[in-house]
Amino acid sequence: MLKAIDIALKDMTRSMRSLIAVAFMFGIPLLVTGMFYLMFGSASNQGGFNLPRIKLVVANLDKDAPRLQAGAKNIPGGIKAHSMSDLVVKVLQSDEMADLLEVSLAPDAASARAAVDRQQAQVAVVIPVDFSRQFADPYGQAVIEFYQDPTLILGPGIVKSILNQFMDGLSGVKIAVDVAMDQLEAQDYALVGQVVQLFMDTSVTQRQDLAATLLDERLPDKPQKSTGSLASILGPIMGGMMIFYAFYTGTASAESILREEEEGTLPRLFTTPTPQSTILSGKFLAVFLTVLVQIIVLLIAGRLVFRVDWGDLVSVAWVVVGIVFSASSFGIFVNSMLKNTKQGGVVFGGVLTFTGMIGMIRIFTMNAPGASGLVNTVSLLVPQGWAIWGILQTMNGVAGTQVLLNTLVMLAWSAAFFIVGVWRFNRRYT
Amino acid sequence: MDAIEVQDLRKAFGDIQAVNGVSFNVSQGEIFSLLGPNGAGKTTTISMLCCLLRPDAGDALVMGHSIRKDPNGVKALLGVVPQDIALYEDLTARENLTFWGKMYGLRGAALKARVNEVLEVIGLSERANDRVSKFSGGMKRRVNIAVALLHKPKVIYMDEPTVGIDPQSRRNILDNVVELKNQGMTVLYTTHYMEEAQELSDHIAIMDHGEMIACGKHAELVRIVGQMDRITLTISILAADSDRERLLQAWSRVEGVQQVTAQEDGMIVLLADDSHRVLPPIFEAASTNGVRITGVDIQEPNLESVFLHLTGRALRD
Repeated sequence: MLKAIDIALKDMTRSMRSLIAVAFMFGIPLLVTGMFYLMFGSASNQGGFNLPRIKLVVANLDKDAPRLQAGAKNIPGGIKAHSMSDLVVKVLQSDEMADLLEVSLAPDAASARAAVDRQQAQVAVVIPVDFSRQFADPYGQAVIEFYQDPTLILGPGIVKSILNQFMDGLSGVKIAVDVAMDQLEAQDYALVGQVVQLFMDTSVTQRQDLAATLLDERLPDKPQKSTGSLASILGPIMGGMMIFYAFYTGTASAESILREEEEGTLPRLFTTPTPQSTILSGKFLAVFLTVLVQIIVLLIAGRLVFRVDWGDLVSVAWVVVGIVFSASSFGIFVNSMLKNTKQGGVVFGGVLTFTGMIGMIRIFTMNAPGASGLVNTVSLLVPQGWAIWGILQTMNGVAGTQVLLNTLVMLAWSAAFFIVGVWRFNRRYT
Repeated sequence: MDAIEVQDLRKAFGDIQAVNGVSFNVSQGEIFSLLGPNGAGKTTTISMLCCLLRPDAGDALVMGHSIRKDPNGVKALLGVVPQDIALYEDLTARENLTFWGKMYGLRGAALKARVNEVLEVIGLSERANDRVSKFSGGMKRRVNIAVALLHKPKVIYMDEPTVGIDPQSRRNILDNVVELKNQGMTVLYTTHYMEEAQELSDHIAIMDHGEMIACGKHAELVRIVGQMDRITLTISILAADSDRERLLQAWSRVEGVQQVTAQEDGMIVLLADDSHRVLPPIFEAASTNGVRITGVDIQEPNLESVFLHLTGRALRD
């Protein structure tokens, strides 16, 4: 046993002294995740998610609007507004929207549209003269004009979404008011104001965060975790990279068996009074330990550098066990099929890229609900797919028992790979 | 008890019979050389003796342990210096020796002391903490040998340890081999350099095409071709057979020439007691008979001529 550990430590020392190996083990997974990090955010915003601010010009033509009856404390975000149109403008200008929107005011509709035409703004919002009155009128139609640069999609889409959410909310109020007025046969604005106030008291004002009121993110049938937006993007990417390169490391480490055979050190080991089983055990142990070190370092680095919340420690430990065993035994299996390291270069590139991409397809299509069913099934054809599913589950806070199933499947893969690999290597050197 | 007793070893790779019924004995404390050209079967024989290859037939005993029945017992007694350098180039000399020492069962202070001792012997104490990749070919060879000496083996196999190195390192290695013998080790040495076998060996076995074609002490092997010098002469074409016959008779009458043979390729081979003494009268007789000698090749009795005599080919062909 001591000799097996000596062989494993020797192999690990050699691996860690290879700049290329270290780069592939730690550097590239962190680098790729770092690139996504730079794309979507920066270290200074503590996990916040910055999109470029959308330039929006607002022309509020509703100058003589009837006064809004709701008090500031009853309006989401505590906004002070004199009228319904003023409320729309104040919402768009609010602090909560400042990260998304850069709002300027135009005196009239023409100049607002002209700003978009001159590409000084991406979107123009024109609030018509009788917007508030139409809103208050049970039979009126309150319409906001939305004028956008047709070459842009994302920015105008976000503004449109914000306005739609807001207007949907107000429409709900309006319907409630209309129904109340019909039933009470009320005619004056004071009563409308009371109804609005009551509605807001009981529903909307319970949520103080205006952005959260307007932009409500939900995941179907999954418990939601309070992680930052950037971390939620980087988590799956980091997890995917970690698993992809864990399998690379497993294969590259196991290649040391072939490399030592070519260097003559393996035959020399066989001339020492060390049983062949001990020598091969030492080599295999090195592969397991190297992948384990890699995974632990990447998990910690992901947490510290990118603030990835990997999930419950016990669940993560189960997934790590599965990943380490499956990546290592996969490497032993692949190498046992090769004659020499020259074949390795070609085979590794092909096999690891192909299986890795199939496994990671779940991450690529995370936000494509139509594709997810088939794609998720396909990804489970390779061990990487089970590993990625496992780590995504821990990140989504799925219970340990469900994660355990993934680990058991990965261990089954591992057993199959290991048995075939060991059998072939034993046969080769006997 | 002999250190090594080889009995009818055979090994084939497909249709190629790499070793075909090789038998020899090596006494304790001697240097025994396996001499032969590349592909003669020397490395295959060594590989079977260090239990890397399993023989198809036959057996060998190393200090009484059978390579078939007790390979681990054999390995514990052996130090093996492979033909190619088998070291971890990304580890230092000390790390290499420490690792290999552990593989031979050494641990702790004993291992540390032995590593330092061996580094001293090979003259690399100053470079002990340098990576092997930075060493010259000769230095690597020395570390390669040092690995096999760590556990003070009773028997050491050295498979062509001087291939591809500078003369100074070669000299150093040959001196080390003699030193090992002086320390009481038995050395089984393979080489295709006749001079090395001649200089080092107590006994020499000559191998060719997987078979042992001769075995004995240097003097015994040389006696196979006699103690005479072999002079091969190339001459100008003679007009008639009678002229050639007259010339051969003239040369056979020269004092010191024991035998004159005309070969089919036109060359004449003379066996003489002393080539330096007989050459002047040979040239004189040729001149008298109107024959011009265009080439002379002299071979004093050595292992090369033994190999040539036994196989009809030069050792380096």
